Amino acid sequence: MASEPAGDQEHAELAQEQRLIEEAQHGNLDAMRPILERYAQPLYGTVILPRLGDTASAEEVLRDTLATAVEKIKRFTWQGKSIYPWLRQIAINKVYDVHRQSKRSRRLADAMVHEIPVESDPTTHADAQLMADQERRAHRERIDDTMGALQDRYRLAIELRLVQELSREECAKRLGVTIGTFDVLLFRAVRAFRKQFGERNEEAKEPS
Amino acid sequence: MANEDDYLTNPVPDPDDDATPSERAHAKTFAELVDKTLSGRVPPAMSADDRALLEVATVIRAASGNVQLAPGKQRSLVEDALRQAIGGPQSSLPGVTPIEKARRRWVPWSVAGGSMVIAAAAILMMWLRTAPVEKPSMPTAWMSRPSDPLIGPIARERAGDASARIDYIFADRMDGYRERRLSRGGKR
Repeated sequence: MASEPAGDQEHAELAQEQRLIEEAQHGNLDAMRPILERYAQPLYGTVILPRLGDTASAEEVLRDTLATAVEKIKRFTWQGKSIYPWLRQIAINKVYDVHRQSKRSRRLADAMVHEIPVESDPTTHADAQLMADQERRAHRERIDDTMGALQDRYRLAIELRLVQELSREECAKRLGVTIGTFDVLLFRAVRAFRKQFGERNEEAKEPS
Repeated sequence: MANEDDYLTNPVPDPDDDATPSERAHAKTFAELVDKTLSGRVPPAMSADDRALLEVATVIRAASGNVQLAPGKQRSLVEDALRQAIGGPQSSLPGVTPIEKARRRWVPWSVAGGSMVIAAAAILMMWLRTAPVEKPSMPTAWMSRPSDPLIGPIARERAGDASARIDYIFADRMDGYRERRLSRGGKR
């Protein structure tokens, strides 16, 4: 039974998480450190940054999220599940705050702040990771969905430059154009993506 | 033509459409911003349009799993968050105070109370120093004083008689001067 050791490990991790939270609730702030370090990356990469699109703001929101978690740890009630969904909800609330404060009316911001439902029930740390993976996949599907509605050359420009992260020279070479023309192509591609993404989000929000 | 450069709301041309010089310039600026972002150097200043488009690029990259938090940055953010939670200065120094110790509410209150006591003592000292000291009485004519009681309200039709009023005040002051000079043989 290969799954048994993995299950044991998951339970051990969950027990450790519970012990750390209890320690923090009894006043040992440093006990929160391993938990924050464990979940900082999934919160940043799958919850905050995809909803803000700005790395500096995302880092700030992550720090505020973690700080709020520490401040309010006494209010957290252990229910035999990972703390990750609680942290995720704090992060989403912070993202909403940022959008409200900056009064962003941009379609993309509206679209990205839109809640992505996550079905997983994070009873363990592994499931919390699964939850983050699911959320990443959901974001990716929305991006792919929008990419599918773009013209081929725009889709290719975004794929080469932003997904594969090839250099401008390499992208231009692969598309058989000059660097200047590739710059224009990418510029238009991102504009087209933005419009398409916002429009699809509006359609999704309309009642059927 | 005012909205020609409004790249966020204008329709997007087809890939093979010719670009205007203005669009080429914008595209080059955006390409350089993307370059910097990909190398982890997000420029702090840019136009709102460029920022909006760069956010799109970052969202696409984030969804592709291309944007990771550097381990050093993560440690620093966790450390800052722990410090922020206890109300201390944000820095990456190790050693965080336990939450109970940090949340002793009396510390800020005692600092504030101490400051208030010091401020009150300073005000009291200033008041004592500036409190009216009993001065030897002296004739009114020897002191600086307003001339309003001397002149009284100036009627509109007498408004132009400023010279007469000045002469009157001068004469009054001279009276005081003479009184002071001539009393006690010119000595106070």
